[in-house]
Amino acid sequence: MIRIFLFSILFVQVLFGYNYNSLLLKADATIFPKIMLMDKKIKNKLIDNKIIYTIVYDQCDYETAIHVKEYIENTFQKYMDRYPYKVDLAEFSHLSLATKASAFYVLKSSTENIKKAANIARQKGIISFSYDINNLKYDLLFSLVIENSTILYLNKEYLHTNNIDFVDSLLSMVRFIGKKSI
Amino acid sequence: MKYKINLFLLTCLTTLHLQADDLHASLFNDMKEFNTIATQTKQNEHYQPYIISVFQSKELEYLGVSNLKEALMLVPGVDMATDNTNTQTPIFRGSNPSAYGQSKLLIDGVVVNNLFFDAYSEYLSMPIDMIKRIEVIRGPGSKVDGINAYAGSINVVTYAEDFKGFESNNKVVFKYGSYDYGMGGFVKNFQIQKLKGHIDFYYQKDNKNISSGPDGLAQGSLGTANVGLSQSGDAPLWLDEYALGVTLKYQEFSLKARLLQHKQGSAYGINFALPQKNDRVKLPSYYAELGYTKKINDAHIDIKVGAKYDIFDSEAKLAPNNLNLSGIVFSNGIYGEHYAKQRVLYQSTYLKYKGFTNHRITLGYRVTQEKTVAMKSKLSNLTTGDAALVDYTDTLPFFDKDAHRNVYTFSLQDTYDINEKLSALYGVNYEQTSYKDAGFDPRVSLVYRQDFKNIFKAIYSTSHRNPSWQEMFTKNNHSRVGNTDLEPEKVTSYELSYIRNFTSDSYLQSNLFYLINKNQIYNSAADPMYRNAAKTDIYGIELEYKGHIFPNDELYANYTYIDGSYTVEDTRTNSSLPNVAHNLAKGYYIYHFNSAISLGTTLKYVGSKERTPTDLRPNVKAYTTLDTALNYKNSRYNYNVNMSVKNIFDTDVRYPSPQNSYVDDYAQARRTFLIAFKKSF
Repeated sequence: MIRIFLFSILFVQVLFGYNYNSLLLKADATIFPKIMLMDKKIKNKLIDNKIIYTIVYDQCDYETAIHVKEYIENTFQKYMDRYPYKVDLAEFSHLSLATKASAFYVLKSSTENIKKAANIARQKGIISFSYDINNLKYDLLFSLVIENSTILYLNKEYLHTNNIDFVDSLLSMVRFIGKKSI
Repeated sequence: MKYKINLFLLTCLTTLHLQADDLHASLFNDMKEFNTIATQTKQNEHYQPYIISVFQSKELEYLGVSNLKEALMLVPGVDMATDNTNTQTPIFRGSNPSAYGQSKLLIDGVVVNNLFFDAYSEYLSMPIDMIKRIEVIRGPGSKVDGINAYAGSINVVTYAEDFKGFESNNKVVFKYGSYDYGMGGFVKNFQIQKLKGHIDFYYQKDNKNISSGPDGLAQGSLGTANVGLSQSGDAPLWLDEYALGVTLKYQEFSLKARLLQHKQGSAYGINFALPQKNDRVKLPSYYAELGYTKKINDAHIDIKVGAKYDIFDSEAKLAPNNLNLSGIVFSNGIYGEHYAKQRVLYQSTYLKYKGFTNHRITLGYRVTQEKTVAMKSKLSNLTTGDAALVDYTDTLPFFDKDAHRNVYTFSLQDTYDINEKLSALYGVNYEQTSYKDAGFDPRVSLVYRQDFKNIFKAIYSTSHRNPSWQEMFTKNNHSRVGNTDLEPEKVTSYELSYIRNFTSDSYLQSNLFYLINKNQIYNSAADPMYRNAAKTDIYGIELEYKGHIFPNDELYANYTYIDGSYTVEDTRTNSSLPNVAHNLAKGYYIYHFNSAISLGTTLKYVGSKERTPTDLRPNVKAYTTLDTALNYKNSRYNYNVNMSVKNIFDTDVRYPSPQNSYVDDYAQARRTFLIAFKKSF
């Protein structure tokens, strides 16, 4: 009986996801697409003239990923600014350089998976957003934290890549953070 | 041609610039809006200049937490006390367990403490399903302008709080449990053009009677001649209540109203004599508050006007058959009907100004008029000993029917962001009353954010508690005698806090506190008149952790150590804090097996409590309780079923009784079960 109980605990762990703060998820879903639009080189990242905003998730977080997708689609009615867009979901295990994406929004996962997503984002030259600020230390670019006020953190060590060039007004809004501070 | 090309380029650049400006403005507004929601919903609690704990009721529902009282028992440093009428009150950090009103209860920002006891026991049974969030500030002060809590403030936020784009909170709830407990209720939010509305309603009833005694007569509470009449038996602790809450918002105007019809058994008896099964106390509470709020540039004005009524209405057998009072024998016992209706009218105006860089200044006043508007006092014939009731309203009132008090409070406060990391809150409240004035209550608080993971707070604050109606105006009673010369109780508090955020949803918080309490109001069975009898120095530490062991679980734990000294003003004798548990530990663990099924467990430990110096009984025993709950959530049809067992090991839980009353203290419920069904729409 105990074995069955322990087995069920280990087994069902993959069925239910990480814990998320619903307000932070909503803030991410509202704010991150707008940050993506403040990249002067956004046109280079269109795929078939569309923005593809890809939510990268662990298998156990499928429901959370769907929830974020729906929230983005309700917030941005068919267009992000003047660009048509699509929200795609990609599991970490299926993520590769071939994954079509203009930007990644990375949910929680193992360090290995986060590093994988960050590496692919860098190689593709696209912006990566992280739900968890701790994952900026694995080279993701942006994260939002609800502190005394809502603070947008930018990983300063990976800002200057050839394919990303933000408008100056954005840089005045963010707080730069280095790996050592995380 | 060249001109046209230049014009085209200029137009493109301007368009790009405008587009970036629009996005920047939009982004700025979004961040501001989420910041407002985060502040309002206390999601950035760690950065606030208070020691605050926030409990989301959706999380508590997984644990089978049924009502406000059970939720408050999870708060660090909070213990529960009761009295002979079962007026229960949370005790914050061991501060005067015999006084009510050291903490304030606010429902959606409206203070609901009754005037009679300054307690809010009648609201502690409020079902958790009607509550969205509970915010508990420990220490003096509160988040609401002009409300100066003494030891702590509890803000209950109902589902009237509704943000655009967030999920619906409409639902119906039914519960059934031990002691024939039954409950039904609903929450409904609606919008008709610009009018936004919220209604919540619940009805609940149980048949709780708990074996108690021997009653206070055994200790001579009604004289040595009557010791032999002492009884043991079931104390009527049953509940029968319904409540309706309404909130309406139309542009800048709002209305918050609540009607609570609370009826409970007479518990352990007004005179410590065990009452009859159907003897009862009604504690209805009604309030309505109109608000007007307007933002003009950097200024924000907030005007409120409100009325609150609370009633103490008791019908009970006050003493057993054959009681002998000064030679008069009451062969059929003494019966009594006591009724006192209080009214509180208030008006407040607060102006918040953000026009000075890095400053947020709040300035305003609150005027309160408190008054007893009706009083009746009937007792068995005290001359003949006949049980039939005689109207003693004018000749032997239990209460001063002309009781009234005016309170004027002025506040000035500034929150100053000194730099990106350091902010300060400083201010002062000044209060005058038609009795003894509290005077100035200053406050200074510093919050240092070293980085997003490390936060430090230092708080100095003072506050006071005005004596309650009961403490001032009770008359002709064997266990309580009022005193209008009472000074307000006063506290000076020093607090240090360090918060370590591990992730966005896991943290460790540690708080050190030192409280100097003066003019503490006490009475006793030997000396029933309320007096500013004691001072207490209290110090301690609170540790609070929230996080996870696995990705799919939630762990919360806290520990509080409280110690200090209690000095009787007249004799200057020192002793340990009476009726205070030195060690409190609480925690819960929720494991989500999958998206539908979860198991929650709650553990509470309350340490032993010493007695007052003259009370020779052994210490009140420590106890540990374990609750468990199984939750099933059906996402397809949007319903939840929760089955819980409280106090699973059937532990004997007792709250301390005063000296010379119930010698074995006040017994509480043993193992119980509860089934809850909730359907969301």
